[in-house]
Order: sequence, then structure tokens, then C-alpha cells
Amino acid sequence: MDHFEVFGLPRRLAVDTAELQRKFYELSRRYHPDFHQAAPPEEQVRALEASAGLNAAYRTLRDPIARIEYLVRLEEGRDTKEGATVKPKAPPELLEEMFEIQEALAEAKAGGLDEAGRAALVVQRDRLMARLGDEETRLVGPLSQGWDASQPAERQRVLAAMKEALAIRAYLRTVIDDLNDALGESQEGYVTYRRH
Amino acid sequence: MAYSEKVVDHYNNPRNVGSFPKDTPGVGTGLVGAPECGDVMKLQIKVDLQTGVIEDAKFKTFGCGSAIASSSLATEWLKGKTVDEAAKIKNTDIVNELKLPPVKIHCSVLAEDAIKAALADCKEKWLKAGAAAASTT
Repeated sequence: MDHFEVFGLPRRLAVDTAELQRKFYELSRRYHPDFHQAAPPEEQVRALEASAGLNAAYRTLRDPIARIEYLVRLEEGRDTKEGATVKPKAPPELLEEMFEIQEALAEAKAGGLDEAGRAALVVQRDRLMARLGDEETRLVGPLSQGWDASQPAERQRVLAAMKEALAIRAYLRTVIDDLNDALGESQEGYVTYRRH
Repeated sequence: MAYSEKVVDHYNNPRNVGSFPKDTPGVGTGLVGAPECGDVMKLQIKVDLQTGVIEDAKFKTFGCGSAIASSSLATEWLKGKTVDEAAKIKNTDIVNELKLPPVKIHCSVLAEDAIKAALADCKEKWLKAGAAAASTT
């Protein structure tokens, strides 16, 4: 059963999160191990598995971006982020730009950061945060709506566009993390992407 | 995560870090990225246009230890190889040498992609019929 099926939902990106939460509480009660203590062992195991599956499905579907990442994986028949058959291609200019920022950052760190250097990094970080915001707005807005409205023949194109936007987001987040590390600060409300 | 000794060695003492000016005759540049994690890797080769042998290779990688080790190892392997031999380097060779765990295999794929991109760039710029002759004049 995939995460959408757990909630009896179609494979669409528009999800009513209030309704999702209500359904989550309802199903949580149904599968909760405490209510199956008197049941035969195999039924207890089933309830436990259903409960774990429900938690995973809820965590994924309540977040609009995690929902998109999951949908892309599901459509490609993959379990993990690694091993994509068709690699999303980020625009070459973006790679160039990210590389140049990283190079400049490495030099700035090696030379010791003075006030002006820090200020420049803050400006750069904030500019990239704004672009990250734009990219996420595009993902949860037009791209998600595009998926829900697409005909089967258009699906591959919409998926490719979503994958490219997710790739751009990953590059931006990595550079933002590295800038924040260098500045020794973190942004409120920004969840680090550190993956190493 | 526990890195293998070889990864740690390459990470602490990366070989051939640096860059060549892009337009130097014989230089091919490959810039690739891993959308899964946001790593970026630049790998460059410098080919002797008379013999087709890679006389030097350099890299710069902004990413995890495995990505740095994969590209560092790649530059070591590239030196002294002909362009055709270099094209045969596979990511699985890197995985075996560095004992990369399954979650880090994409780092070796990135290094293979970077080699391919550098070779393609070099061929495009310098090794096409006429380009080699033109560069010697």
C-alpha cells in the first residue's frame, strides 16, 4: 500500500491537510497497539505495522514538498532518493554559479572573515534564500496544480519539470547550508539540509 | 558513518586539487552535480595533443568525503592514460577501490560523469579533426 492509499487518497498533490489530520487521528486510534492487546499475536503485529505505515504516510503527505518528492519516486518505482534511472538535469548555468559561490566561500574562509566579508556572505545567502522560496512556491503552486490537471500523455513532462525544480532546490539548499555554516548562524524556520 | 581508510586518506590528503585555465590547449573541463545532495564537482584533464595521453589532471569538489575521495582517486588514475583508456574508467572501479557503501555509490557515479564530461569537452575543443592541427600552428 502506498502512502496515498493508506489515506484512501488518489495520487494527487492537492491535499486538504485539515482533513488529512482528522483521518490520521481516526486511523491512529484504530491501529493503536493499546487497543489490540487482547487480540491474537499475528493481529497485534499487523496493527503495529499498520501504525508504523500510517505514521510514515502522514509525515510525508502533510508536507507539500515531501509529498512531491514522494510522488516522483512513486511514479518512477523507486524506494529511495538514490538510483534514479533518469537523472534530473539542473541547468548548467546553475551548476557554474553554485561552484563559483562555493569557490569564493572557500577562499573567504581561508583568508579569515572580516566584517565586510561577512556582510557580503549575508547578502548572498539572503539572495539565495529568496530564490529557494521562489522555487518552492513554484513546486507547491503551479507545478503541483499542473500534475493534478495533467492528462496521462503529459505526465512525463510534468514529472521532469518537478524533478528539475527539486534538483535546483537541492543545490540551493546545500549552498545556503554552507554559507550559514561559514557565518556560524542558522535561519529561524529554516531546516538544515546537511546530509553528510 | 564509517569511511574506509582509503576514503579518509584521500579526504585528508586530496591529490591534484586545483584548476587549469579553461582555454589552455588540451584542457577539458567537466562540471557535474548530484541533485540528490547538492554536491558539485569540477574535474579537468590536460591532454598532450600529439600523443593523446593525459599528462595532468586536477579537481575541485564541494561535497562529502566520498565525493572528494572519488574525484581525487579519479585524477590519480587519469594521469598517464590515453583518452581512450580514460573513457573506460567505471564508477564500479571507484566503488571497489574506496569500498564505498551503497548510500555513497552516487558519489562514484558523479566522478565517472565528471570524467566523461571532461573527455567530451576536450574532444570537442581540441581533438576534433582540424582542431589539433590548428592548435599546433
